[in-house]
Amino acid sequence: MSSTSPGADLPSDPASSDAPTDRPASSPVAEDASDNGTNVDAMNAGDRSAPASDAPEDTSESASEGASEGDNGLLGAVREPQRLHPLTLFLRFLATLPALALILLPTLTNPDSTIWMPLFLGGVYAVFAVPAIILQYLRFSYRITPRQIVIQSGVINRQNRSIPIERVQNVEIEQRLLARFLNLAQVRLETAGSASTEASIEYVSLRQAHKIRTAVRTYQRAADAQASDSESSSNDAEDATPRSETLFSMSLPHVLLAGAFRFSLFYLAVIFSVLQFVDPETLTNWFLLSQDRIDVVVEAMYDSPVLTVLTTVILAALLGWLSGILLTLNRYYGFTLWMEEGKLRKRHGLFTVTEGTIPLAKVQVMIVQTTPLMRAFGWYTLEVQTMGLNTDQQGQRVVAPFARWSTVLDLANHVRPLDLPETFERVSPLTIRRHFLRRLGVLLAVLAPAVYFWPSGWWHPYDIALPWWGLLAVPALGVAAYLHYHYHRYAIGQDGLYVRRGVLRHYLWMMPINRYQVFYATDSVLQRRLRLKTLFVDTAGASAFAYPDIIDVDAQTADGAVDTLHGQFHSLYRSMVATATAPPASTDARPSLVDPNAVPRALPLPRDSSS
Amino acid sequence: MDLPSTLSSPGVSPRALLPSSSLTALDPDIRSVWRIKLCLLHTVIFLGILFYAVTRFFSGTDWTMLLGIVTGVLICMVLYILVWPRWRYDAWGYELHEDELVLEYGVITHVRTVVPLRRIQHLDVSQDIFEREFDLGRLIIHTAGTRSSDVVIPGLPLSTAERIRDEVKQYILNDPLTEDVL
Repeated sequence: MSSTSPGADLPSDPASSDAPTDRPASSPVAEDASDNGTNVDAMNAGDRSAPASDAPEDTSESASEGASEGDNGLLGAVREPQRLHPLTLFLRFLATLPALALILLPTLTNPDSTIWMPLFLGGVYAVFAVPAIILQYLRFSYRITPRQIVIQSGVINRQNRSIPIERVQNVEIEQRLLARFLNLAQVRLETAGSASTEASIEYVSLRQAHKIRTAVRTYQRAADAQASDSESSSNDAEDATPRSETLFSMSLPHVLLAGAFRFSLFYLAVIFSVLQFVDPETLTNWFLLSQDRIDVVVEAMYDSPVLTVLTTVILAALLGWLSGILLTLNRYYGFTLWMEEGKLRKRHGLFTVTEGTIPLAKVQVMIVQTTPLMRAFGWYTLEVQTMGLNTDQQGQRVVAPFARWSTVLDLANHVRPLDLPETFERVSPLTIRRHFLRRLGVLLAVLAPAVYFWPSGWWHPYDIALPWWGLLAVPALGVAAYLHYHYHRYAIGQDGLYVRRGVLRHYLWMMPINRYQVFYATDSVLQRRLRLKTLFVDTAGASAFAYPDIIDVDAQTADGAVDTLHGQFHSLYRSMVATATAPPASTDARPSLVDPNAVPRALPLPRDSSS
Repeated sequence: MDLPSTLSSPGVSPRALLPSSSLTALDPDIRSVWRIKLCLLHTVIFLGILFYAVTRFFSGTDWTMLLGIVTGVLICMVLYILVWPRWRYDAWGYELHEDELVLEYGVITHVRTVVPLRRIQHLDVSQDIFEREFDLGRLIIHTAGTRSSDVVIPGLPLSTAERIRDEVKQYILNDPLTEDVL
C-alpha cells in the first residue's frame, strides 16, 4: 500500500516524465467526497476517472458546522491547498543522486571510456529526472478541511485521496537527518484498517508539520464533540494546549546501557556488504604495503588456527556489541514517553527523530519481553500490540525499550489498569518430552541430508562426518525443553489472560478480557494420546510468531480454561449490555435502536445443553 | 442463563460450552461434494503417474513392478477418497448458541472454537458449482483476530447458512454496545 503513497513513488520513472505535457490538468480527477469513503475508496480514487472536476468537497466544507469556526484563524493556512516546502525539491534531487552514481559507475570505473559517456548519461538524467521532480512537486498539494484531508498528487495518473478526518489514527512527524538540518519534517498519516502509512506529506517545514497535526486534532475533537454532546465544546476550546505528563524518559547513559544489552550484527553485515564494492585486491595491497606487521599477524594465524578462530569470534562479538550500542543510540536517543488526551505519545531518535502516537483505546495486548542477559540485570521491554496502525514490528509498538520491572508495571498500569495475578499455573510436564522430541526431529531432519551429501574429502574430525557432531547439541535440546516447561506459565486473572513463555527470550502477554476475539482448544494426534491440548485466545493484531499459545495443558483443564475465559468475556459483555440498556434513553447515544426492555438478541435457535 | 453481577472471582462464571455442548452435524451430502472434488484432483495426479509409468514401460522397465506401483497408488487413492471425507465429516460439528458460535473440526489436529457473535466482523455465504448441485453453502466468518481471522463452516444447507448469517447479522445490529474494539 505504501507504494501508492505520494512519497513512495517519488523518483517516478524518468522515462515517463515528459508525458504530462500531452495530458495536462484536464485529466479528470475522481472525487471521493463521500463521508464514509473508506480507505480503499481513497486509494482507488486515482485509478477511477469520473467527470467530476476540481471542485472538491465544497459540500463538506460548507457542511462544517460552527464547532470548528473558532479555529479558522489558527488553521486557515491549512485549509487552502498547500504546496510542499520548496526545499523539498533540493532533498528529492539529492535522493536521486545515488541512482545517478549507479548509472555512471560502470563508465567511470572503466578507464577506457572517454569523458563523453558520463556527460551524455548525466545529460539524459538531467532531462528526465529533474523535470520529473519539479512536476511532481508542482502537482502535489494537500489541504485539511474539517471533514477530511485531501491530498492530490501524481503527474500522469492524478491521484486525489481524501481521508476522512475521524479515520486518522495518528499523525506522525519524522525528521530525517538531512531534513533536520533544513528544519523540514515529514508528516505521515495513519489510519485504521491499513497496515501501512496511509499518506505521507514530505517535506514541509517543522512548524507547518505541527500545524497540520494541531489542525487534525482540533477537527477530530470537534467531530467528537459533535458526535457526543455530553462533552461541552467549551472544554475543547480550553484544551488548545493540552496538559501532558511525562511517563518515561531515557537519559543518555540509560540509552547507552540499553544498547550494551543489545547485540547486533546488523552493522557488521552492512560494513561487509559495502566492502564488497571496493576492489579487495587494492585494499589488501594497501594494507600490506602500509603495514609490515600484517605479515606477522598472518603468520601467527597460520601457526595457531584455534587462536585465530577465537580472536575472530571475540572481535565479531565486540563489533556486534558496539554496533548494538550505536544502533540503539540512533534509535532511542532522547526517548520520551508522555500521555496526552488518552494517547501515549513518544519521541525518540538521534539522526531520525520519530514522534509516534498510540491511542490507548487501540491497545489490544501488552507484551513484556526480556532476554536472558537483560533479565539477569532486571531489565525489561514493554510493548503494546495494536491494530491498524503503522506497524513497527508485527503490530507491536515499543512503549519502554529498557526499563526496570517496577517501571514496566507502572507504565502498563497507565496503559490499562491491571491486576497481575499472584500465582501462575504450569502446563503439563509432558510438554518437556514433546518439546524435546519435536526439536530433535527438526535437528535430525537438518543433519541427515547434510550427512548424506557430505563429500568424503571434507572435514571429518575423528573420522566422523562433521554434521554428525551436531548431535552434540542434543543435551542442549533437553535443557531447552526443560526451560520451555519451566518458564511456560499462564494465569486467568480477574481482568484477563496472562501467558508467559520463552526459552531464551521471555515473553509475558497480558490480554484484557475485552480484547478477546476467538477461543480455541486444539489437540493434534500426538497430543490426544497424552490427553493434552493447546489453547489460545486470538487477539487483533497479533504477531505471526511469538504468539501466546498455552501449549500442552491437560485436556480437561484446557476445556475448562476456555469455558472460563469465554465466561469472563460473556459476563463482562452481559453486564456492559445491562448498563447500556438499563437507564432507558438517558445516556444512550442511539436509543431508538434499542428497546431497553427487550433482551438485545433474538436467536430462535435450540438452546445449548448447558444452563 | 443467569447474569453474574460482578467479576469478583474469575472462576465464577465459566460458560460450559466446550466439551459438553451438543453439536449439529453438517449436511451429509457434503461428503459427496468432498469425494467429487477429491476424485477430480486425484484423477489428475493419477494420470500424471500413469503417464510416467507408461514412459518407463517403453524405456524397458519391468512391467510387473510398474503395474504394481500403479495399482498400489490407485488403491491408496480410492481408499483415501472413500475414508477421508467420512472422517472429516465425523469430525465436524457446529452449534449456534445465544451469544456465540461453537465449532469443532479437524481429523488430525482437532480444533474446538468458540466465536463470540459480538466479535464477528462480517459473514459471507458462498457456494461453488459442486455445492450448488447439492444445494449446499459455505459460511465464512470474519473476525478481527489475526491468527485465524477466517472461520469457514462448509457443507451447510444453503438455507441454514443464510439463516445463520441473517441471525448473526441481526444480533450484531441489535447489539446496544457501540464499542469500537479495534
